[in-house]
Amino acid sequence: MNASQPLLEIKGLNAGYGEIEVLHGIDLQMFEGEFVCIIGANTAGKSTILRAISRLVPHVTGTLRFAGNDLSSRASHDIPMLGIAHVPEGRHVFTDMMVEENLMLGAFTARHAKDLSLRMEGIFELFPRLRERRGQLAGTLSGGEQQMVAVGRALMLQPKLLLLDEPSHGLAPKVVEEMHDAFTKIHSRGTSILLVEQNVGLALDVATRGYVLESGRIALQGTSAELNENPAVRAAYLGI
Amino acid sequence: MKRWIAILAAIAIAAVLPLLLSPTGYWIRVLTFTLLFAAMAQVWNIIGGLANQTSLGHAAFFGIGAYTSTILVLKFGISPWIGMFAGGFLGGIAALIIAVPTMRLQGHYFALATLAFGEVMRVIANVWTSLTGGPVGLSVPFVPPSIAAYSFKQLLPHAYIALIALIIVTFIFEAIRRSAMGYRLRAIKENPAAAEVIGIDTTKVKLQTAVISGVLMAMLGTLYAQVAVFFDPDTVFSAASISIRVALIAILGGVGTAIGPILGALFIIPVEELMNDLFSSGAAGLSQLIFGVILIAVILWRPRGFITVFDSLMARFSNKARS
Repeated sequence: MNASQPLLEIKGLNAGYGEIEVLHGIDLQMFEGEFVCIIGANTAGKSTILRAISRLVPHVTGTLRFAGNDLSSRASHDIPMLGIAHVPEGRHVFTDMMVEENLMLGAFTARHAKDLSLRMEGIFELFPRLRERRGQLAGTLSGGEQQMVAVGRALMLQPKLLLLDEPSHGLAPKVVEEMHDAFTKIHSRGTSILLVEQNVGLALDVATRGYVLESGRIALQGTSAELNENPAVRAAYLGI
Repeated sequence: MKRWIAILAAIAIAAVLPLLLSPTGYWIRVLTFTLLFAAMAQVWNIIGGLANQTSLGHAAFFGIGAYTSTILVLKFGISPWIGMFAGGFLGGIAALIIAVPTMRLQGHYFALATLAFGEVMRVIANVWTSLTGGPVGLSVPFVPPSIAAYSFKQLLPHAYIALIALIIVTFIFEAIRRSAMGYRLRAIKENPAAAEVIGIDTTKVKLQTAVISGVLMAMLGTLYAQVAVFFDPDTVFSAASISIRVALIAILGGVGTAIGPILGALFIIPVEELMNDLFSSGAAGLSQLIFGVILIAVILWRPRGFITVFDSLMARFSNKARS
């Protein structure tokens, strides 16, 4: 793959559930090493973009390419194999399993036990609290800690691209900040991130570029600085 | 360590028990069937407990196993030991055929689809007279007793074969539960969407468990045929006395645990026999009615199965040992 080719390329994406079309003609591009966010109101279709990439949406037309692979012919369980890790909305950790077991389940691409413990060590460096709780059932953790497990499990794959769906939803402000610090660190380690976020201020704070989604269409796009200055964005999402 | 001592002790008791019973008596027969049904429930537990798919069609595989080995003896004089593997092979294929369209179904829908499949097999066996003998049934031919021919004068060797089968399938169940596949199954059971997102091919993993369960169930069908000596389509393909009973044993004992099906069989088979013994001289069906009432009472008392009684007993025992 040459440098000028995007890591993720979405062209004319229409997607929906049954009769209802949620996304209409989405164009989105991401290059390796980018940290991009998708912002917009509830029900604008932000999550559906991520779910379409992960092949979790039944009806999809248009082009979906990742690192030279056509995603539209893949099954959802093949997507992680290509290097895309998805942290679904609402966390979805395995509550009846220990933290360590949750992390291990995310690492099926690891070939050796040594590789596995190395990856886990990386997660514990990022989220020291998970090290303390490694033997605890994930269901007994706080919401923030469960989100850390969900993100950690995705990182165990050592993905090229990390999809984050509303990771700050329902978390205390202090935990949200912690979370976003972690995302900056993950990004600086070389993982590309596509973040879907309702908290527009925070999203534009951590991401370098963004798309604004309105009723299933891209209304605006630009660098975070540009979007931050945009009067429409300020009025609609930042309340200024 | 302690766990292994307990397991070895249980196996030792089970190994001595048949010797204490009269070799020609009634109770050795009850014991043999208890062990056999425990093994069948354990095999059901692989798909019902680990993959969380409540099959009500396991009689299909069981009957395929019983018929395959018996037909091979009758027509070609092939030893049931070999016939057992042939039956296992066909049972696995049948499991694959039924699982491909039904595995996407969940809960009641899966249960009903498998129930229908078991009934279809029963009808086929009744109609395909040239192969199965139809409703008249098949008799396992008498051959001079030998281990190689799987033929014995007494029930005692059958009891031991059933015991060994139970031990083997229990180890298989436990090995799957602790393997990477076991983890994948737990992940699917808890959260199918999250399992797909982390790269688990949920359909494939479920298919694998269905095939393993189908192969083993068919092999146990051969064991049954050799003990029963005579069977017909309505017994080995029975929804009530095979499919549902096997599921019931696992559920009553504690679904998804290795000990559950064993506890369930130790309760259900002897109690059912006892009820038949005590009440069969009364009104017709009275024993079944009383048996049903006992089952309902047990389920109300311990909804999660006998395993919960067993666990609390073990906890009390280890507390006493410590103090």
